[in-house]
Amino acid sequence: MNLSLVDPFVLAQDCPEVITGRLRSGHSTSIRFSHRGDLLASGRHDGIVVIFDIETNGVARKLRGHTRQIQSLSWSTNDRYLLSAGQDWKCVLWDLKDGSRVRTVRFEAAIFIAELHPLNHMLFAAALFEDQPVLVDMSNEVPAKHTLPTAPRRSQLERENASEKQAAQDAKQTTTVTLFTPSGDHILAGTNKGWLNIIDAMTCQMLYSYRIANSIIVLLRLTQSGRDVVINSSDRIVRTLHLPDLSDPKFDFESLQVEVEHKFQDLVQRLSWNAVAFSSTGEYVAATTYMNHHVYIWERGQGSLVKILEGTKEELSAVEWHPFRPFVAAVGVDSGRVWLWSVLQPQRWSALAPDFAEVEENVEYIEREDEFDIQPLEEIHKRRLDQEDEEVDVLTLEPVKTTTEHGAGDFRMPVLLDIEASDSEDEVVAVGAGQFRRRSPGAGREWMNDGEGVSGDESRKTNGSVAQNGTKRRRAG
Amino acid sequence: MVDRRNSPPKRRRDDHDNHDDCDSPPPKRSASRTPPNASPQYRLAARPRRYSGQDGEDSRRYYREEPSPRSRSQSRTRSESRSRSTPDRPSTPPQRGPGPAKPTELHYTPTFILRGHKKGVSAVKFSPDGRWIASCSADCTIKIWDARTGKLEHTLEGHLAGISTIAWSHDSKILASGSDDKSIRLWDVSTGMAHPTPFIGHHNYVYSIAFSPKGNMLVSGSYDEAVFLWDVRAARVMRSLPAHSDPVSGVDFVRDGTLIVSCSHDGLIRVWDTATGQCLRTLVHEDNAPVTSVIFSPNGKYVLAWTLDSCVRLWNYIEGKGKCVKTYQGHKNTNHSLAGAFGTYGGGPPPHQWAFVASGSESGDIVLWDVSSKNVLQRLSGHTDAVLSVDMHPTEKLMVSGGLDRTVRIWKESISPPQSALEAAAAEPPRTNGFDPEILPPNPFAAA
Repeated sequence: MNLSLVDPFVLAQDCPEVITGRLRSGHSTSIRFSHRGDLLASGRHDGIVVIFDIETNGVARKLRGHTRQIQSLSWSTNDRYLLSAGQDWKCVLWDLKDGSRVRTVRFEAAIFIAELHPLNHMLFAAALFEDQPVLVDMSNEVPAKHTLPTAPRRSQLERENASEKQAAQDAKQTTTVTLFTPSGDHILAGTNKGWLNIIDAMTCQMLYSYRIANSIIVLLRLTQSGRDVVINSSDRIVRTLHLPDLSDPKFDFESLQVEVEHKFQDLVQRLSWNAVAFSSTGEYVAATTYMNHHVYIWERGQGSLVKILEGTKEELSAVEWHPFRPFVAAVGVDSGRVWLWSVLQPQRWSALAPDFAEVEENVEYIEREDEFDIQPLEEIHKRRLDQEDEEVDVLTLEPVKTTTEHGAGDFRMPVLLDIEASDSEDEVVAVGAGQFRRRSPGAGREWMNDGEGVSGDESRKTNGSVAQNGTKRRRAG
Repeated sequence: MVDRRNSPPKRRRDDHDNHDDCDSPPPKRSASRTPPNASPQYRLAARPRRYSGQDGEDSRRYYREEPSPRSRSQSRTRSESRSRSTPDRPSTPPQRGPGPAKPTELHYTPTFILRGHKKGVSAVKFSPDGRWIASCSADCTIKIWDARTGKLEHTLEGHLAGISTIAWSHDSKILASGSDDKSIRLWDVSTGMAHPTPFIGHHNYVYSIAFSPKGNMLVSGSYDEAVFLWDVRAARVMRSLPAHSDPVSGVDFVRDGTLIVSCSHDGLIRVWDTATGQCLRTLVHEDNAPVTSVIFSPNGKYVLAWTLDSCVRLWNYIEGKGKCVKTYQGHKNTNHSLAGAFGTYGGGPPPHQWAFVASGSESGDIVLWDVSSKNVLQRLSGHTDAVLSVDMHPTEKLMVSGGLDRTVRIWKESISPPQSALEAAAAEPPRTNGFDPEILPPNPFAAA
């Protein structure tokens, strides 16, 4: 409801400009905005998933269940469920209402990425390391895993002429990324040989394949409409392409011709890209760079570089664009902080008093005819009250434009009090004035014992309990 | 204690040391500005509506959505017929088609008198789920009452000084209170326990608080002239708004949480952007009367402000530079911080629902005005001293009030108008609850 009052020039800005904040809770490795845009999930190096509240920049919830670094995160459409994939080879579906684990799915391989179905939060697709990608149905206690194809779909001609070598190569391919289209009918997949595959989510059949690059596809992202794809591949080129409406029943995959729309690359520095993200409308593409401290932003109309976000002193990995605001979050590789860029809104001085006005140049003031007339107070009061004759409607609600407002049945994140105090974000605890020591190993990790058995995490931290003196000694000079 | 005489009006001041003598010398700020008369001289007569057929789009939602197939079909037929006449006037009220006519008066009758507070009641609030009533008082306690039976559920004790303000979280589980001990406390309503970490940061009395719709933020206004925005989870100040040059007397959140309104005894009402902390609008009336309380309208397009010139003003803060669209008069308000609420009447589905403004008065009355016509719909008497706070039930036709006479009263709208309000009240006296502090032995701690 603030939109009608905000400076239209500020609202017209759709690309973030400056660092406006940073979030920290442990060492973050992957992030994902919720669909409504008020929460940011952050997976940590120690396996804890932290939900940040973007409005307060505070921690809304901590989810403990993974023992290794979090690899990917995915929100359900109503923002109530969160799927996390960890390097401990398991995926956990969390219910954010109470922070409980709805399902835990284990794999025999490391997970690249796990993505929830947009309509059914009990269904997800995962790309596995050196294994076939799977579609997992968690609606039963025992999850059902359906293998998805990886080998590209060849045309009839190619199939007839296929040599044994090619068939063997096709079979050796692994899928590195899987992604649902917004309708949930299709899965987009990228392979380590640069193929873009479209798989039917119902039948698990390969519908379409196209070789888009010659090297590994690292990441695929879709816009909210699902019609635009951005592809980050390890050949240092970020490609965007346009897709037809795949859910159209009349659409024929045989006639599909994929064409790369833009190739974004840095020919001079030969930069390679860590992660990519679409802006809310798909108008911009943001990418973090390997061995470099910047976020590059290209716009897709002309395919030109429009902005380089800077200000961090570290390389950035995962990058995320807010679902509807000019607001970018990226994870620092060294510190594990989440850096936030947005637009600055200057204070308009005319808002501070009704008789202030902002003028570009000097204006000669022309007084009203009756401005300094002296009139009886009674008269003024009466006239003013008589003028208040308009009909006033204080009840009718305007249709909402953005999705920040909650409907009656929507899930609302519960507000937990004292979550910061429940475990200190750092591994250092204060023991006195200026005195700190490392947190003893296992402290605050009692959750690990609930049927999980001993994890490798404790053994890693056995040398952590060395007492430290936090005060610096100065040499007498 | 000396400066207290000259300090600007405060909700719980008068009954601090003497219950009976509540007419302390008027505060200096308002003394010169008191209008020559506070009587409803300028009230307008009922006026025929100007715009005949507008609105009622299907896409529109109403403050209190009542699913009714009838209303939907009506609005559809109306929208067809309307397309010829004046096409777009967004803020005009929905057409009253065939249906109940707009009532010209309301009939709220007392149902409960809840006694228990040992000093004046400074604020009363229905919980958002409508089950509870919370009341806070200068006696340093908050009481939670069952809204249906009037039973005292909890007495929350922990503040070290009188409490001026309370606010419910959206899920009705947490109650926040702001006190003269400069702290804000959160209370678990189900257990009646205080949350262990109070919100410390204000340098003077906390005078007004409000929860954001999601419950993750709390805004507070204080006598130290600052508006603080708190992160509720971490109990820390997120942002301090350089708001005013006099005590901040009222704060509120708009329904989607993106705006904050604050008002102060310096006569200003400011609208803030929650996300950036920028001031977006400043509303000031020419007379510059101290503003004592401010709330957003249910749809968030207007703000309603109480001022010490015995006026309640409705401001359109969006249009132009902000404009006062209605002035409600007929009550007396020159000394105390009165607060009130919006209510609805006209039992029908949304197109046949109208809004009224409810406010207390220093005369002991409660006055209900129609929002558009500014007519007094009802004047309720019962309180024996100034009524400081009035709140409306979120869904039912219930009203609660609290005042300096130490009682909390629940009022219910009777469907059929009684022959005479006085007769009806005499026939069925309101049930009282708890005990009358007058007949109790003097509390040794009360005077301290």
